[in-house]
Amino acid sequence: MNSKKQAQHILKLALLAICFFMASAHSEVVVVVSATSPITTLSKNQVAKIFLGKSRLFPDGSKAQPLNQSEGSLERDAFYQLVSGKSPAQVKAHWSKLIFTGRGQPPKEAATNDAVKQLLANGSVNISYMDRATIDDSVKILELQ
Amino acid sequence: MSNPPTESVEPTQDQNNTHSSETQHHRQNIIEPILFYPTALIAALILLWVITFDLIATTHQRARESAITSATALVYTYEAQVLRALREIDQSLNVARRSYELNNDNTMLPMLNDWSLLLPNFLFVTSITDADGNVINSTSTIEKHNVSDQDYFRQQLESDQLVLSRPWQDPYTKAWKLTFSRKVNTPEGSFGGIVFTSVDASYFVSGYEESQFGKRGVLGIIATDGIFRVRRSGEDIVSGEKVNFSHLLPNNEEVEEPEEPVVKLQHNSWDKVKRYTVASQLYEFPLAVVVGLSEEEQLQGAVQLKRVYLLRASAASFAMIIIAVVLLRLSLQLKQSRQKALQEQISHAKKVEYLAFHDSLTGLPNRSFFSQLLSHDIAEAKRYKRHLALLFLDLDRFKVINDTLGHDVGDELLKQVAQRLTKALRETDTVARLGGDEFVVLLPEMNDEKQISSVAKKILSSVGKPFHLAGQDLRVTVSIGISVFPLDGEDEQTLVKNADIAMYHAKERGKNNFRFYSDELSTDSLERLALESSLRLAVDRGEFLLHYQEKHDLRSGEITGAEALLRWQHPTLGLIQPMQFLPLAEETGLIIPIGKWVIEAACKQVSKWLEEGLPPRCISVNLTERQFTDAHLLDDIAKILHSTGINPAQLELEITESLLLRNFDRALKTLSKIKALGVRIAIDNFGTSYTSLSTLDKFHFDTLKIDGSVIRDIANEPSDKQLTEAIISVGRTMAMTIVAEGVETQEQADFLLASSCDQVQGFYYDKPAPPS
Repeated sequence: MNSKKQAQHILKLALLAICFFMASAHSEVVVVVSATSPITTLSKNQVAKIFLGKSRLFPDGSKAQPLNQSEGSLERDAFYQLVSGKSPAQVKAHWSKLIFTGRGQPPKEAATNDAVKQLLANGSVNISYMDRATIDDSVKILELQ
Repeated sequence: MSNPPTESVEPTQDQNNTHSSETQHHRQNIIEPILFYPTALIAALILLWVITFDLIATTHQRARESAITSATALVYTYEAQVLRALREIDQSLNVARRSYELNNDNTMLPMLNDWSLLLPNFLFVTSITDADGNVINSTSTIEKHNVSDQDYFRQQLESDQLVLSRPWQDPYTKAWKLTFSRKVNTPEGSFGGIVFTSVDASYFVSGYEESQFGKRGVLGIIATDGIFRVRRSGEDIVSGEKVNFSHLLPNNEEVEEPEEPVVKLQHNSWDKVKRYTVASQLYEFPLAVVVGLSEEEQLQGAVQLKRVYLLRASAASFAMIIIAVVLLRLSLQLKQSRQKALQEQISHAKKVEYLAFHDSLTGLPNRSFFSQLLSHDIAEAKRYKRHLALLFLDLDRFKVINDTLGHDVGDELLKQVAQRLTKALRETDTVARLGGDEFVVLLPEMNDEKQISSVAKKILSSVGKPFHLAGQDLRVTVSIGISVFPLDGEDEQTLVKNADIAMYHAKERGKNNFRFYSDELSTDSLERLALESSLRLAVDRGEFLLHYQEKHDLRSGEITGAEALLRWQHPTLGLIQPMQFLPLAEETGLIIPIGKWVIEAACKQVSKWLEEGLPPRCISVNLTERQFTDAHLLDDIAKILHSTGINPAQLELEITESLLLRNFDRALKTLSKIKALGVRIAIDNFGTSYTSLSTLDKFHFDTLKIDGSVIRDIANEPSDKQLTEAIISVGRTMAMTIVAEGVETQEQADFLLASSCDQVQGFYYDKPAPPS
């Protein structure tokens, strides 16, 4: 029983690792805004600030309304790695501190890339990220400097 | 004896006084810097260290106060944060519970989450169970199991309050978790399950900032059961430790009103770190927040400052000690050099004083000191009706020694004489040197003439022993004159004068003896004094005149020259012969001006004869010993020759043999200088002394004068004849002009002619007479 459970666990981990590998090999996270957004380019640092609660405005002065993908998603982890170099644990610790000390609330979350597109389209958020493969006309990719 | 009686001698007393006061002064000067610098140093060091320790104490106190203030501020902040977090949790649980109770929809949690009515689900996992503890709905898909065995579930069965679980560990991530729960009621009001939310324990200590807490501070939440729900020190986050809660909050239950939290310095039981610890119990929850600041970290700055202060103070102390030592040394050196200078001044003053009262050559009291001593002794003798003898000493022939052997030898002789006199006398007697070769001896308490005589004899024999000077043994004699107080005088001057007179008579009586003063001596002396004073006047008054005795050429009989002979035409005594006054003139030195006058008068006579149309004549003048050794002789002759304008060869100076023998080398020098002037030199009185042929040869005399005594008995004594012939023969060989003196008879003249003598003079031809 015990050894069988262990073997299953190892198998699961191996599959997970393969998935990770595939994802990183074949997918790419891009920062997106609504197709109608006037914003075309931001620096990684500016994006990171917005998503880590350090900045609430775009450089042009308009309000930033970021949208996260859900905790544990590949897009989310890749995104934070891309713009801030932070690991998921570091991001979590960062938000823990901000929330506990009352200095900020985390961005809304969307469970899927499609949900992201939808929320961007209806204007309840105005910046997010997603797998490049799932891009369509409703969004435009933000150039990162 | 050179130390005079102190009571009368002021200089000595002065010296003593000065000396003792100077010594005291020195001691004060030496003590001063030795005391001052160490005292100043110690005072400065004490001040420095007191300030340093005070500064350290102040710094520490400030650091402690600052730590306490910080801890207090931090606990207030933390308490507020924890309370807010708990209320948020409670609120979200209540929202979930109420929604479920109202709708009984076990799928509504994700929806509540989407509406942001729950806490962010990446931190908080919220779930609902049924009454049996089965999770029926959750914001996390993984959270599906039974929680009925969990402590919070069991607690919730009996509680309507918010329940906080004990910390538990996530089996997969190993992270410590805390679970908060609320009871869910059925519509009927019975137990319907719980709604609970789990969060990482670290969430509650995520406010730990190293800038505020340091690496070893502590931030944590503890429940009243004494179990730390979470505790963080640096990056270490721990949950589940059990500690003594009351130890953290000792007086909690005794205090009615919640007081301000008290910061205490204690060794925290959980990790043994000493911290400024403060705990504050929450009002609504059975929890307390704990904040601690490591003493070591908080006081680190103070400790470093302390080290810096100590180092600085040590360096300053060291520098101060060095400076003090250097200053001390410098000032001591200064004092010493001042002292040395002062002592030099004193010794110089003493020396000056000594010199003023002592003879520098012999170290004996000098004339002025002696005068003081004598008047003091006279006063003493007068008071006690005692006698007092004064011995006046004069070295015989000292002048000759001085002139022939030099002043250095003369000085050395005086020193040795002084030593011998001092040795020959008693301590109470006084020897003084009045100057030159004159010494005086003062014998107090001398009543008996015999006693005085024996002292005089002792002096004579002591001085009479040979002195070893300048490589030769020298015999010196002394003449002593003695006067006695009060018989021979009652005052200083009279005693000295009478002793001097007595001395003079002792000298006249053949030297090397002593003589007591008597009134007759005084009379003799008066004559002598009278003669001396009139002799002095004679030069100025022109009382001298010259007689001339002609010299004749034997063959032709012509007059070739003359010998000038001195006469004194005394206004009352008449014509005085040279032997009556020349010794006195020689002794007193009056011979110098007299002799000079003689040469000048003779030269004038030569030129006068020339003017009268007589053929050139050579004039002979005698030189005495004193004249011959006079330093100005050559100058005088040259001046006279120049002023009279005569041919130097017409002047002939006659010198006796004995004069040459006193100091051969010096005589040779003087003679050669005279000859260099062109003046002729004759050796006079030849045949009476022991001149060797080599002497004659060396001096190159122009003329040799045979003494009258040699030819006196020529007629009767064949040996005299032979001697005369020999002399003439020698003279001729050396190309000298031979002159015979004292020719009185025809026989003598004939003999001399036969013996080829050149010239003659004597009564046979003419007597000395004034110039015709």
